[in-house]
Amino acid sequence: MKDKPTRREVLGHAVRGATLVGLGGLGFYLIRKANGEGVWQIDCEKCVNSRLGAVGVEVCDYCATSCVLGLSAVRAVNDYSICGRCYICPAYFDIKSAVNEEGLPSQKLCPRDAIDRKPIGWVDPDDPANNYYEYAIDENLCNGCGKCVMACKEPAGLNSIRLVVRYDLCLDCNRCTIAIACPDEAYERKPLSEDEGVG
Amino acid sequence: MNPRTGVKKTNVTEQGAAGFSPHGAASALEFAALANQSRPRGMKPAALLFSLTSFSLTSFLLISVVSVGVFLLGATQAFAQQIDYERPVDVAPSPEDIGEEYVLPVTPQAPPRAQWREAVDVAVLAAALLLCTWIVLVRRSRRWLVVLSIGCLLYFGFYREGCICPIGAIQNVVVALTDPNAAISYFVIAFFLLPLIMTVLFGRVFCGGVCPLGALQDLVLLPTAGRGAGRYIFTTAGGGAGRYIPLRVPRVLDKIMGTFKWVYLVLAIWLAARPTETRDFIICRFDPFVGFFRFTGPTHMLLIGAGLLVLGMFLGRPYCRYLCPYGAILSLLSRISWRYVTITPDKELDCGLCAESCPYGAMKDLRAEKSSCLFCARCFNACPRHRVRGRPEVTSNESSQSS
Repeated sequence: MKDKPTRREVLGHAVRGATLVGLGGLGFYLIRKANGEGVWQIDCEKCVNSRLGAVGVEVCDYCATSCVLGLSAVRAVNDYSICGRCYICPAYFDIKSAVNEEGLPSQKLCPRDAIDRKPIGWVDPDDPANNYYEYAIDENLCNGCGKCVMACKEPAGLNSIRLVVRYDLCLDCNRCTIAIACPDEAYERKPLSEDEGVG
Repeated sequence: MNPRTGVKKTNVTEQGAAGFSPHGAASALEFAALANQSRPRGMKPAALLFSLTSFSLTSFLLISVVSVGVFLLGATQAFAQQIDYERPVDVAPSPEDIGEEYVLPVTPQAPPRAQWREAVDVAVLAAALLLCTWIVLVRRSRRWLVVLSIGCLLYFGFYREGCICPIGAIQNVVVALTDPNAAISYFVIAFFLLPLIMTVLFGRVFCGGVCPLGALQDLVLLPTAGRGAGRYIFTTAGGGAGRYIPLRVPRVLDKIMGTFKWVYLVLAIWLAARPTETRDFIICRFDPFVGFFRFTGPTHMLLIGAGLLVLGMFLGRPYCRYLCPYGAILSLLSRISWRYVTITPDKELDCGLCAESCPYGAMKDLRAEKSSCLFCARCFNACPRHRVRGRPEVTSNESSQSS
């Protein structure tokens, strides 16, 4: 058993102690700066698919194609407090397609058929346009390609659809591949409290 | 601010329903743009361009009239087969408008990962670090270490899918230190600091049994054929000159290649400290194994990862030894560690079997080198004294007198 620590041991303890104090100081400094959990969010004022004014431009589908997940963590979300519940929804129908016998566009806009359309209440068979229709997006099918978001934009629509990152699906990658691909810098990793999301 | 409020309302009130009666150049512009969007071949934006370059009020009005005329013409004649689309409402109908006790559906929103789950991650990390310390420094068992590293590989690797890890947390910490607006959570800080503190106290326990990237490489490393002198797989008649597994990197080359990780670390810190637009997290971008944890990833990274694993079958942990930026920090801090792997507490028995068993070139003069020992516990298995006695009583740096 050693009675007296050698000079080398004392020095070692001193260096160790200093390093631990330094790490502790770094920890305290970081904890004071800690402002909650950063989550990837889409700023829809920047996203070309949802920002107002960007009309007549190509739909940006990087949210669907750039995510590391097979099915992207981004979903289109219909805000029911804004949705006009139109008879002919420009996000549900491809309004450029030919008219069918019912007087509706024959094609749907969503390439994955993720939007469900159902009338609210009783529909007059002679005047089906005089009714409200509810449009729900199937979260299991939607891949966040943004076509419906672009189609529902002013002045054709009411801007009720937007793209959101689904926090339960998002892997919260340090280096979000969609954020890198996004041409509008619309992706930001912000504290959860700054989410102005719907609902 | 919700982007749909405010702006939309003014649009609606100024423009009227669906903008079919434009009364100004702004409406005409918007309208032409809409027509151009929904009917791409119908009206080329010549009128739009012209209106942009003309300045007089009369020109604006003229263009408005002309563009509406062209639009109506196009809508009625050239595109008779498609609907004449018109937005029927200006604002969302209220539940009262819809009637029939209509209930506004809840707009779907997914909550983020619960905080307690993040806390569990930190708790698992801390427990794994302590357990690894005990297994390597006290229990001195390779078998239990393999069990622990497989457990951590499954949890941090395949369950948590590689995020968050202390290696990538370097960048988050750098961002938090340089960017006042950046978000950092307590859990990231804990993930970054816990292994560092454990390294100052006990050496690189994180590398040994906790890091999923290290565990993956450690598990693919081919075991040597047997023990002792006959352990080499490709032994030539002479023995020493032959190729054997794992490959021994000459010490000088090992040191030179070991400096790569410092270059990587400096580069990662520099890129993470830049402003948001040019910031890049290269540690995560070039993480070679995260693609395996997620079963998906960029092809080139999967190929690089596969290449590193194939190399790792013959050369012990190439990523950890030569590339890992966190390993650079740990190799520095482990130099001052309080406790560390001691192989031959009994100095009389310097047989050298432990040095041969080390796949990482971490043995120098029959002692484990603090900075490069990765706590894999293979040397304990190779020690004949350890095998005879099972678990040695001596665990500290002091030499024992038992024989």
